[in-house]
Amino acid sequence: MKMISRTLLPLLVVAAASSLSFQARAAGDVEKGKDVFATECAECHSAREGKNKKGPSLFGVVGRKAATVADASYSDGLKASGITWTPDKIDAYVTAPKKLVPGGKMKYDGLASAAERAELLAYLATLK
Amino acid sequence: MHPILSGGKTRLSAIRHTAGLVLATAGFLTAAPAAHAVPSFARQTGQECAACHIGAYGPQLTPYGVKFKIGGYTDSDGKGGKVPLSGMVVASFTRTAKSQDPAPDKSSPNNNHSLDEASVFLAGRLSDKIGAFVQATYDGIGQRTSIDQADVRFAHTTEVAGKETVFGVSVNNNPGVQDPFNSMPVWSFPYTASALAFGQGDAATMINGGLEQRVTGVSAYTFWNNMVYAELGTYRALTPTMQSRLGLGKGDDMGHIGGNTAYWRLAVFQDLKKQAFNAGIFGLNTSVQPDRSTPGSNKFNDLGVDASYQFLGTREHVATVNTSYIRERQTRNQLVATEGADNLKGRLNEFKLNASYHYMQTWGATIGRFVTHGTSDATLYSDGFANGSPNTSGYILQADWTPWGKESSWGAPWANVRLGAQYTMYDKYNGAKTNYDGNGRDAKDNNTLFLFAWTSF
Repeated sequence: MKMISRTLLPLLVVAAASSLSFQARAAGDVEKGKDVFATECAECHSAREGKNKKGPSLFGVVGRKAATVADASYSDGLKASGITWTPDKIDAYVTAPKKLVPGGKMKYDGLASAAERAELLAYLATLK
Repeated sequence: MHPILSGGKTRLSAIRHTAGLVLATAGFLTAAPAAHAVPSFARQTGQECAACHIGAYGPQLTPYGVKFKIGGYTDSDGKGGKVPLSGMVVASFTRTAKSQDPAPDKSSPNNNHSLDEASVFLAGRLSDKIGAFVQATYDGIGQRTSIDQADVRFAHTTEVAGKETVFGVSVNNNPGVQDPFNSMPVWSFPYTASALAFGQGDAATMINGGLEQRVTGVSAYTFWNNMVYAELGTYRALTPTMQSRLGLGKGDDMGHIGGNTAYWRLAVFQDLKKQAFNAGIFGLNTSVQPDRSTPGSNKFNDLGVDASYQFLGTREHVATVNTSYIRERQTRNQLVATEGADNLKGRLNEFKLNASYHYMQTWGATIGRFVTHGTSDATLYSDGFANGSPNTSGYILQADWTPWGKESSWGAPWANVRLGAQYTMYDKYNGAKTNYDGNGRDAKDNNTLFLFAWTSF
């Protein structure tokens, strides 16, 4: 038993520390993602449910079918895209909107930083 | 009508009477701030005021606001039924360090409460490619209603060399009112000021309000790749009859302006989301014939350089710096011929530098420096000036509170207000630090406390 304790205890401590670190890092990503949202997205999009600005609310955007928010205005290109907003699709769209959706009307040149896109995705995933 | 105009006229009339000047011929219109905040744009776009304006209140534009204006005021949330009408009211209290003698028109020598202006705006999208910003104002000091700033524009977006490019045309009534940046005189700090105090001296360049509302002009512009802005335009004076119909009055007709009047603008702009900047040059070349029935005119060649920087970050802490320098060359043929000036040639230069900080798009503080400096002329700058000099300089401090205009604000996008306290300090006024008027009045006697409530809906 002592042998097991001597072996497992450090492992458990390391695992717990790693878990806490991961959670802290994830929380940090979300906070950073909230800042990215404020800088890059919030002029045209709200994080509040049902609040559309020039663009649709991004509440619940992860996993949502594109161009389906009630009372929001969409381009024909986005309506016809058949996209579902998986993290990969959001990442591709935020990287280069016109490349993923030719004819889209979102006036945004794209976010080049992969790290900031990941942080943004972490934040968007919390909007549900 | 600019709030300061009626207050300025008392002084202008005195100058005109003595020197034989006609109002705008020497650009003798005190720098007049434009108070503009238009919630109908917010209703049209679905955005909050803070999307377009630093500190959630006009007129200082964010990069989004710059692009909205260049796009012809036509951007929208795609929903119909928006009425492009807004209203605005500015009320204030003005206290100068020393009472004014004589008192400003229709006001007390000091401690004046006033309804500075009440405006209605036609502001917004008229069609897919045409938008308007047209203001009619009741001047509570002058007690008259007239056309104010007007800018109707067409904008078409296409691609040039693979980059998004806007081509536009503006029809407007004030050189510079169509400019999308925050450093041209008509749009620069202070954004509102007392109509019953001293402005930034009695001499101002022609591009600093010398033609406003008395002309109509057309300019063509382009904005390439969200980066390069270029514009070229020309202006004509309104006839006295038209000025009268627009509520401006025939009595203040500045006269006829030359057919060679040209306005131009070049700028580079970068919107980096976390920050933005622009830098450019601009100019106005014109001649003014003060007496429409008698030949003889004065020429004004204005050349300006300007730049702005904005730190935007997450919009929690926003800081801006704006600056401009205008150099005006005057050729006073008519003034010399009518003994209104001694020197045929003269210069008048204006420098402005201001910096602002806003916290949570609600609490704001701004500090500004202004300097007007020109060559002396004992006759042109006589009554009310010392040493024949137009020189004026000072500082402006402002603190303001803008409680609404954000996404979750009460009454958005209808309820908007800014409450502010502004203090102007002069270290030189109309040519001297002391006794500038010959009656013992010092520049510091003009120091002004201005408390204002500025609301729009």
